[in-house]
Amino acid sequence: MDRRNFIKGVSAGSAASLVALKQKGRAAAKKPLVSVAKGDDYQKLVAEVLKPLGGTEAFVKKGHKVALKPNLSFDRTPEQGANVHPEVLKAMVKLCLDAGASEVLVFDRVLAEKRRCYEQSGANKAIGSIGDSRVKLVHPQDRDFVKKQIDKGIFFRTWEFYKPALEADVYINLPVAKHHGSAKLSLGLKNILGVIGGNRGKVHMRLDQGIADLNTVLTPDLTVIDATRILLRNGPSGGNLEDVEKKDTLIASTDTVAADAYTAKHLFGMETSELGYLADAHKLGLGEKDLNKIKIVKA
Amino acid sequence: MPANRKSRVPVYWWRRLSQILFLALFLFLFRMTDYQGSDEIPYAVNIFFRWDPLIAASAMLAARTFIALLVPAIVVVLLTLVLGRFFCGWVCPLGTLLDASAKVIKPRKTGPAGKFRAGKYYLLALILVCALFGLPLVGYFDPFSILVRGLTLSVDPALNASVSQPFDYIYQSETLDFMAPVSEPVYGFIKDRLLPYEQKFFALALPSLFILLAVFGLEKIERRSWCRNLCPLGAMLALFSRFAPLRQHPGGSCASRDCNTCRDICRMGAINEEGVISPGDCNLCLDCVAECHKQIISFKFRKTKRKPAAAGVSRRGFAWTLVAGLALPAFYKGRALHKRPHPELIRPPGALPEEEFLDRCVRCGECMKVCINNAIQPAFLESGSEGTFSPVVVPRIGYCEYNCTLCGQVCPTGAIQELALSEKKEVKIGRAHFDKNRCLPWARGIPCVVCEEMCPVPDKAIRTREVKVLNQKDEEVTVQQPYIVFELCIGCGRCENACPLPGEAAVRVISGGESRDPENQGYVLY
Repeated sequence: MDRRNFIKGVSAGSAASLVALKQKGRAAAKKPLVSVAKGDDYQKLVAEVLKPLGGTEAFVKKGHKVALKPNLSFDRTPEQGANVHPEVLKAMVKLCLDAGASEVLVFDRVLAEKRRCYEQSGANKAIGSIGDSRVKLVHPQDRDFVKKQIDKGIFFRTWEFYKPALEADVYINLPVAKHHGSAKLSLGLKNILGVIGGNRGKVHMRLDQGIADLNTVLTPDLTVIDATRILLRNGPSGGNLEDVEKKDTLIASTDTVAADAYTAKHLFGMETSELGYLADAHKLGLGEKDLNKIKIVKA
Repeated sequence: MPANRKSRVPVYWWRRLSQILFLALFLFLFRMTDYQGSDEIPYAVNIFFRWDPLIAASAMLAARTFIALLVPAIVVVLLTLVLGRFFCGWVCPLGTLLDASAKVIKPRKTGPAGKFRAGKYYLLALILVCALFGLPLVGYFDPFSILVRGLTLSVDPALNASVSQPFDYIYQSETLDFMAPVSEPVYGFIKDRLLPYEQKFFALALPSLFILLAVFGLEKIERRSWCRNLCPLGAMLALFSRFAPLRQHPGGSCASRDCNTCRDICRMGAINEEGVISPGDCNLCLDCVAECHKQIISFKFRKTKRKPAAAGVSRRGFAWTLVAGLALPAFYKGRALHKRPHPELIRPPGALPEEEFLDRCVRCGECMKVCINNAIQPAFLESGSEGTFSPVVVPRIGYCEYNCTLCGQVCPTGAIQELALSEKKEVKIGRAHFDKNRCLPWARGIPCVVCEEMCPVPDKAIRTREVKVLNQKDEEVTVQQPYIVFELCIGCGRCENACPLPGEAAVRVISGGESRDPENQGYVLY
């Protein structure tokens, strides 16, 4: 039991979070639920997509510290589809606050100049407009990363992880759905690369296994995939508006593998077998990749 | 500036106030020379360079063109023609810092200037003549260049490292982290207000520090030793101040034999045995006005026909300086680097063609200070010894950010032209090449293509081909092998920066292909 789960079990002491823990362990036995919502009012859409999963309250309890990891990797505008849409981010943060979170820490270890990424993606404005001191939009610093054993790792045995994310009561994964040159698609599982430190280029030498290995250390309590706009080509950085398709869709699940599998198939029209990391993650018990074994609910 | 003797506050306090305000302005603008959350920098952070008439004269002579950016220098010239060398005493931040340091360094000597004070005039002449004949030297002697470069490359990174270290230690410590709830808010406060946004790393950090320290070290010999003897900007202002009507009131000279107060305290050594103040040396600090026991020293506007000569300059010395200024540039022309440019000489986007660029660049370090990714580094010898401290992009340290145009915005002379973002995205500062002997997919059949992922060009200047190759274990594997689309590559170095290989990257940018030099293309795009 790692520190995060330990804190979760003891400090919360609430039956609900213990149940959530157990459910994770039984994920293979029960059909995982993937919730899908469509609409162009993104503020409402986030709440809608979470409803079938029990709403935000099922994950965020009063006093919880929430680590929220949106994908804000690039110095691109919301229309360019390389980052999470600011309206989606804002809505997600608000829901966490409404659920009584004592702190919502929003962060990403980005790939272009960090200040520009938060500015251009609209994240600065979105978080600023909430005007609540419980939300913190921060840039991870080198000193925030701690080395962590990857006990279940097949290829990667240790890596540096963002400490505040490891220590949070709830870890919410908020990726954007987009094309990726070497991983083919960057979705929920791939988003883990923004939580790790070190020379992450090295992960690319066995990217699929690396994504799976890293996810065993920090498994999202909730993944919400932003497919309001999807980047079809020239990802993960994008830049061409012609490469972007407006889908107005959100996909949510406690099973990141299942959410990724659904998104790959139904938004990008790909076979789940094309994404190597789905199989690798499934093998490590991170979730279900077979769409027949997943319960899909349109919210 | 007539002395107000009835005031209880000594008159030099006005000068001190001015010094403090200008130093504060200088440091404020230095700190603001950074990304501020918008694509444009809202202040003229480079104003100290743009009102510097030495830089204006030298850059315009070297480039043989009028540079509109440097028009503010006229203001300083006009004011000097009226007030004399007030700039050195009331404005110059380096002068202010030297004055402040005198309390610590304790100069051996104040009082009358020594025999070296003509040195600055020779230096000025050498700089201007060399500039005219194509050897730009001003950046090595201009006081702001020395100061800003020293602060940017050396002092600021050192300040950040040393202040952050103890806080980081407490934050990460297993035993001391109980102090973090106290230390972190303190650190946050200091970080937001005093420290640079991020730790930066620079080549030539120590040489730039030593040059700056040398200026302060000279203080040990005599007060304002740099200003009296070497500063070419001071020399230029001294020449203009010969015409200034603001002079010592004639009644001011006293032939007192037992009192040498004014001469002893004069930081510029401007007062001679007869108590006459030399306008070319006086920086109007007004210490003498306040300290004179008889209270007979004052400054008044008056007509004067007597234009004192530049002190200590001999015809012979001046002639030799001109000869040196003519000859020196010639020796620089015959070097191999003029035949073929250095492949690692990657200039920031918007940089003029090399010769014109060097003529205008004043080695001020503003672009290095502002560069959002720490990509711009001071050159060592890539463009010859006269190009030392000029800016080069070193992708392995930092890459050129795709949507950023800050370096062109802060360049005070237009050596790096200010580009619109759409223009900047088209400018090629070099071109990337793969080293297939080291690149993992090419050399070892190992998947990678981090370079392709990072390439910021929307259509991707790095693309991949899926091929079947034998890996090191003789197994057939399918990998993506990256290649460069020359037509699209802008040479930003994002790929070289991200290449996960240790040491030298397997994809490297060279200057070949740079837009600014049609001769440096190498092949015809088809």
